Amino acid sequence: MSHPSDSSQPVVYEIRIAGHLSSQWSEWFAGLTVTLDADGTTWLSGPVIDQAALYGLLKKVRDTGLTLIAVNQISSKQEHP
Amino acid sequence: MPGVFYNGSMSVSILATKLYIPASRSRIVARPRLIERLNEGLQRPSGVTLISASAGFGKTTLVSEWVNQKTESGTQWPAATRTRARRKDESGAPTFQPSSLSLHPFKVAWLSLDEGDNDLARFLTYLVAALQTIAPSIGAGVQAMLQAPQPPPTEAVLTTLLNELNTTPDDFVLVLDDYHVIEAQPVDQALTFLLDHLPLQMHWVIATREDPPLPLARLRARGQLTELRAVDLRFTSAEAAEFLNQVMGLNLSVEDITALENRTEGWITGLQLAALSMQGRSDTAGFIQAFTGSHRFVLDYLMEEVLQRQPEQVRNFLLETSILDRLSGPLCNAITDQADSKAMLETLERANLFVIPLDDQRQWWRYHHLFAEVLQAHLREAQSDRVSELHQRASIWFEQHDLPADAICHALAAKDFDRAANLIERVWLAMDLSYQSATWLSWVKALPVELIRTRPVMCLGYAWALLNGGELEASETWLRAAERWLEPPENSSAQLVVVDEAQFRSLPAALAGARAYRALAVGDIPGTIGYARQTLALAAEDDQLRRTQAMALLGMAEYANGDLVSAEQSLQAFQANLQQVGDLATALGITFILANIKLAQGRLREAIRDYQQTLQRVNRVTPLIIGVSDFYRGLSELWCEQGDLETAQQHLLIAQKLGEQAALTGWPHRLAVAQARLQEIQGDLAGALAWLDEAERRYVRSPLPDRSIAALKARVWIKQGKLAEAESWARTHGVTPEDALSYLGEFEHLTLARVLIARYKTDRVNNTLTAACRLLARLLQAAEAGRRTGSVIEILTLQALAYHAQDDLTQAFASLERALLLAEPEGYVRIFVDEGEPIRLLILDFRLWIEKQKRDQDQKTNRYVEKLLAAFTQPTARPQLTTDKHQSAMIEPLSERELDVLRLLGTELSGPEIARRLNVSLNTVRTHTKNIYSKLGANNRRVAIRRAEELDLL
Repeated sequence: MSHPSDSSQPVVYEIRIAGHLSSQWSEWFAGLTVTLDADGTTWLSGPVIDQAALYGLLKKVRDTGLTLIAVNQISSKQEHP
Repeated sequence: MPGVFYNGSMSVSILATKLYIPASRSRIVARPRLIERLNEGLQRPSGVTLISASAGFGKTTLVSEWVNQKTESGTQWPAATRTRARRKDESGAPTFQPSSLSLHPFKVAWLSLDEGDNDLARFLTYLVAALQTIAPSIGAGVQAMLQAPQPPPTEAVLTTLLNELNTTPDDFVLVLDDYHVIEAQPVDQALTFLLDHLPLQMHWVIATREDPPLPLARLRARGQLTELRAVDLRFTSAEAAEFLNQVMGLNLSVEDITALENRTEGWITGLQLAALSMQGRSDTAGFIQAFTGSHRFVLDYLMEEVLQRQPEQVRNFLLETSILDRLSGPLCNAITDQADSKAMLETLERANLFVIPLDDQRQWWRYHHLFAEVLQAHLREAQSDRVSELHQRASIWFEQHDLPADAICHALAAKDFDRAANLIERVWLAMDLSYQSATWLSWVKALPVELIRTRPVMCLGYAWALLNGGELEASETWLRAAERWLEPPENSSAQLVVVDEAQFRSLPAALAGARAYRALAVGDIPGTIGYARQTLALAAEDDQLRRTQAMALLGMAEYANGDLVSAEQSLQAFQANLQQVGDLATALGITFILANIKLAQGRLREAIRDYQQTLQRVNRVTPLIIGVSDFYRGLSELWCEQGDLETAQQHLLIAQKLGEQAALTGWPHRLAVAQARLQEIQGDLAGALAWLDEAERRYVRSPLPDRSIAALKARVWIKQGKLAEAESWARTHGVTPEDALSYLGEFEHLTLARVLIARYKTDRVNNTLTAACRLLARLLQAAEAGRRTGSVIEILTLQALAYHAQDDLTQAFASLERALLLAEPEGYVRIFVDEGEPIRLLILDFRLWIEKQKRDQDQKTNRYVEKLLAAFTQPTARPQLTTDKHQSAMIEPLSERELDVLRLLGTELSGPEIARRLNVSLNTVRTHTKNIYSKLGANNRRVAIRRAEELDLL
């Protein structure tokens, strides 16, 4: 039961996708913060309650026709640039 | 049946729109290179075409265009090539190549999947409905099985379906669209099973956004798979040019087209949106420059462009109706307060605004999935407060139009839980009876717990749904919650909510029934009997469903209790009831249990006759129903008991070939135990133990009394002289001579008696034998009281051996004689012979003794004794059964006509000669031949004949 996703604390994830996404997707992606990167990619980041929720988000990425570039788990202190 | 319980029930009906092949669109880019790839896929025998790419790559459009082109133009299958390819077998033997095959029409069934299809029963129901659009007779057997009170194992249902598919004369295609919505493993497994046993005339086309967890590598390796992926589907420069300039009527330069193609990476939805944004715009160059210069997500950028260009009324319509999975004029009117929604939908379709018709009458449409996703995101941002209200309106409309599943989903989306709960409660029984309790359960789990507690009928449904899913602990909570409402209300403030009055009235009977079911599942036999009797007392006379179920539970529990006479009566009543309601498959399956009861009662001949009669009925009704494997295995066991090892061997072989798909639950371990027995008889004790280990590994508990496999192993150890191991078995399983006796423990206690007798023979400690004799005396009394003659014979035999071991010949002969008298009329052999050398010596002594007695009445006994003594010396070397557990070929019984054809295939006669001989057309012979090959897993005449010889079919 030591796997981080099994603990009750949500883990912060960032999902990187190609293209700049409008802010209206924030609610669609369960309230994740939408941050645009200068290199033409978008970071969706925020706490994700468990693995099932993470897969749910990835499915939304798929169903929206977005190109997935990376999925990272980040510690709560660390912020992406 | 649901009508019995409540009137005006909400139906759980088939949605025809899910089976609709999307219509051809007039303005479309022709894609001959992809059509050609799809055609090539058809030439692969048992082919599967996988179209895997993300949303917006035109998967559905491509497949529907292909299908429509084929069916409209009357283009025929490339069947001649296909037939040659298929017959290119190792032997190179010329086989039938009917030229008429090339004239077969192109038949296509279509199924658009949605989230609800994660419920396997629903998936199969729709699969059958789709197949029935091309062959109405398909699936009758499967539907009967899905409607049976006890859901049969999935593979049995699938096997029945495959058998039916095998009989279809024409080649056909089944399209599964949107397979990515399937997340449930049982559905993936069912599809894998179907793909592994694909009839030659069947082709699958699977469109999905992600590679499905199906055995793709295996299909690739076998050359069955055709793949179209994003790289194939995206528009080439030429296609992009044709689309933008011809189809959409734009007049773009090569540079512009290249720029758009690069920006969208050939993504079709992107190009479509771009074209819509440019239509009627004067400054297309400016648009392209801005678009290609932007970093924004293509969909975001273009949707905003497109939406901005719509009048406000259209924009609002799009946003408000985006919450709907499917759209109709009246439904949209109810949602949007507009009066002309149908006209609006038609306008949207004409304007290419991603509205897809779902039928020919233009009653139902849906949005392109991608388009709907973006619209919903916009709606949530712009009018998040309205989302619930829109769902609520949708729920009301669907309820009024008797579409409960949609009504429930929208009520849950609106978080209107009272409304959802009312709908969910009303639809419970209908869904439970049609095996959709998984879907129903997922709805209930979305409701607040406090709300469920106030609804006794829903509590009961919840408990049942959990019981069906094997969640015994959780079900207890909800049984208690429902039972609370049967007691006089202590707390008058407690609020009771009942939607389904009829269900509430029958709650006491229903709860008792659920408790009986649960008691049997946890092994509480007296509880099962008590609750089942209570159900029968409480249930209304016309409540056939509950009565039938209670009778079955009662019979099973009485059986487990050793009360075989009552069990037989209850189960016969159950069987008669099933036949009355037309559930022949389950009714015949009961034969297995009844035969086991007769075996324990020592009625071997009757049990054999029952099995044989049932098999004859099965062969008349349908080639394969669940239980057939067990009937053959059961017959094998009975023949074995009567000493006819040859026939026993042969029947076990048939059972093994029929396999698990035609068997009742727990088949693998029953088969392994049967193999072990035959190995043991052949003297291969190590081999027998290996099979018993296999049986232990594969053991699945069933409500039926099973012989303890550990005890079976202990019996083999005794034969091997490994007494310490056998004694260790008794210790670890806590089996002692002083135990209270029960029918379930009888087999273990008889094993213990053998351990004790064997120990006495090595140590000569009197206590051991006394303990054995006392135990046997008690066992005998119990078996005689329960009228279990089979057990009585075994106990008397062991008693005789015990007395013989201490040289008490008078007692030994007395017990043996009683055993022989009971056993002779039923032709028992192995019950004695299996005891080996000790019993042979005893029988030899006994023969001397009766010869001295010279009693007249001993003629019959004399003959029987000679027969038994002969059985000891019978050669035991037998042909080995195959141990190939991975045989993929499904062997099922051939019909009488197929057997006729098969026998003639074994001659030198040609196809036309066979047809003349049987007085049928050549085509009929070919159809039979095709079926025979497929059933035997053969690909030519020679192999078919060899397999038939193996199976003793000729």
